[in-house]
Amino acid sequence: MYCNKLPEKPGNKKELWQKITNMARANSLWVTAYGTGCGAIELRPLHTSRYDMERFGIAMRPTPRQADVLIISGYLSTKTLKRVIRVYEQIQDPKYIVALGSCTINGGMYFDSYNTLNVLDRYLPVDVYVMGCMPRPEAIIDGFILLMSKIKEGRAEGWKHYKENLDYYRENQKKIITDWDLPDYNW
Amino acid sequence: MLSNIISILLTVVAALVWGLLLGGISRNITARIHGRVGPRPIQNFIDMWKLFRKTSSIHHGGMFWMAPMFRITGAICVLLMVPIVVGQSINYNMSFAGDIFLLIYIMFFGCLGMALGAGNSGHPYAVIAVSRGLAQMSAYELSFSIAVLTIAVGLHTLRLEGIVAAQQAGVTSWNIFRFPFASAAALIAFLPMQMANPFGIVLAPQEIPIGPPTEYSSRFLSFMFSGRAIFGVAKLLLFVSLLFGGASSWPVLIVKTFLLYMYPVVVSSVFPRFRTEQSIRFLWFVPTSLALVDLVRVMI
Amino acid sequence: MADDVKKELEMRFPSLKLVRELGNYLHIMVKAPYSVEAVLMAKTRLGYGILQLISAVDRIEDGVFQITWILENYEDSAVLLISAPYPREKCRVPSLSLIWPAASAFERELFEMYGISFPGNPREGEDFLLEGWTDIPPMRRDFDTEKYSMEKFGERQPREHTDPRQYVGDIVGEWDTTLGRKRRGEK
Repeated sequence: MYCNKLPEKPGNKKELWQKITNMARANSLWVTAYGTGCGAIELRPLHTSRYDMERFGIAMRPTPRQADVLIISGYLSTKTLKRVIRVYEQIQDPKYIVALGSCTINGGMYFDSYNTLNVLDRYLPVDVYVMGCMPRPEAIIDGFILLMSKIKEGRAEGWKHYKENLDYYRENQKKIITDWDLPDYNW
Repeated sequence: MLSNIISILLTVVAALVWGLLLGGISRNITARIHGRVGPRPIQNFIDMWKLFRKTSSIHHGGMFWMAPMFRITGAICVLLMVPIVVGQSINYNMSFAGDIFLLIYIMFFGCLGMALGAGNSGHPYAVIAVSRGLAQMSAYELSFSIAVLTIAVGLHTLRLEGIVAAQQAGVTSWNIFRFPFASAAALIAFLPMQMANPFGIVLAPQEIPIGPPTEYSSRFLSFMFSGRAIFGVAKLLLFVSLLFGGASSWPVLIVKTFLLYMYPVVVSSVFPRFRTEQSIRFLWFVPTSLALVDLVRVMI
Repeated sequence: MADDVKKELEMRFPSLKLVRELGNYLHIMVKAPYSVEAVLMAKTRLGYGILQLISAVDRIEDGVFQITWILENYEDSAVLLISAPYPREKCRVPSLSLIWPAASAFERELFEMYGISFPGNPREGEDFLLEGWTDIPPMRRDFDTEKYSMEKFGERQPREHTDPRQYVGDIVGEWDTTLGRKRRGEK
């Protein structure tokens, strides 16, 4: 059932082709509809008519197979991290992570909690941090515009970093998830 | 021979472009109904290109790979059978007596392919959606077939171009005025064909994660979207030829297909979704009885 | 109304201690062997048929866990809290899950967070919120949560704290409040 090999390292492509593709990827970001923390409540107003996100081409997709972006909205407990790793590895390349809130940067309000992690970058590669506790919908749209400009310049390479340094990330993840029963890579 | 092949390829490409553009414009119109600004009209092209360039790392079996091909094949077949503009001989080489029956069966073929592929993906939600979709399709195919049969019997012809030719004597000779009940039944059956609310139970994003395309991603999904675009244009052309008198020139064709496409968009943006048994019961009784009324009237 | 209830309970349990009484709210403390009898009497005779919560307080100075059953009388809108102290080492409290099925969830939570065992609970020992937890139960007061977090999740970089006096100072003038000054011990 699970594919038993580890992911292959990605290669490089031609310049102009990449440029056109990056423009297309930036203008149609599909978000996995998965609210991991307390920031999920700030994602709902983005559908409505006041902070319309469809004009940027952003749409919510219900399954990770069809999405590009995973939004980690707020604190992440170890129980959720196990599921988020599964979801993240099921998203097809290229994929991006947007981290909302100060809990992902340095632990935020819950830095001394026994259950939530402090620095998200050790476990999953983050492309854009959006500050706030929780950031308002306008701030989240600002974060998405920053992500779009990063993609157009070709600097949003978190997924490549994850594939190349999978051992480093796995070691960090296994240190905090004590009952690890996931396969080597969640295809 | 060569000009035939070139015209066929141009037809398919033009249908793809028109279908994706219509989809983008419909998203804009839905957004304006909701009170917000929609995406760019060319948004569907950007989505298509982005999906095409994603990598795919899923292995689910042979049928999973072939299902989008089935869908596109079914769509292109329907497209090539339908006359596009009256008087121009683009597709008339493909028409023959009795091709109206072939059309009804080929429309089923594309959806069947997608159903088999979704079943092979192994995701339980896809299987639920597929069973819903096939049950609903059996319900609306009944009334649609009776309506088409009524029109064919009433005009004493089984060729689609014969049906089109019989409507060329002005606006009052359109089939929508000569067979009003059958046309109403066909137009009600048009809504579940386009997966529009209140009958949009197959792709139900809040109930079952997106239904049959749950495990599909990247290239497969872009093929399925293109298939849906081409299929949509083919169905529009079929309905325009059946009910609204065909098109005598390109601008008239564009206007008629646009207006007909906006009908399910506008209806679906103000209706919620039926439950499965509600929609099947409705489709078994209401449009079927309308079509039967017209069939009886024509037979007498 | 609350007086009748208090009189009946005092008649039945003479060693009862009153913690707080405010209108329809009554909080009593009984000795450990009589706690279940008091709860059942409240349910059957006094009309407090709804169990809202089973809560625990870690009184480490006295060496006891204070278990509280919070009951509600729906018809008269009255709330009754029955507390009982149980020893901290190898704490065993009788389970009420046969009477109220919802009690099994509360008892599982207390087992995970405090280590209080409820023999008779049909789902005793199942994980409630924490998966793969190997340390002492985390809500006990002798569990240092900040040390645990720093050891498990690694060092973090806290945000810089600035003294408002440095920035506000002369501009606003009176930036301090009387309560703030009193708390800090100044005049």
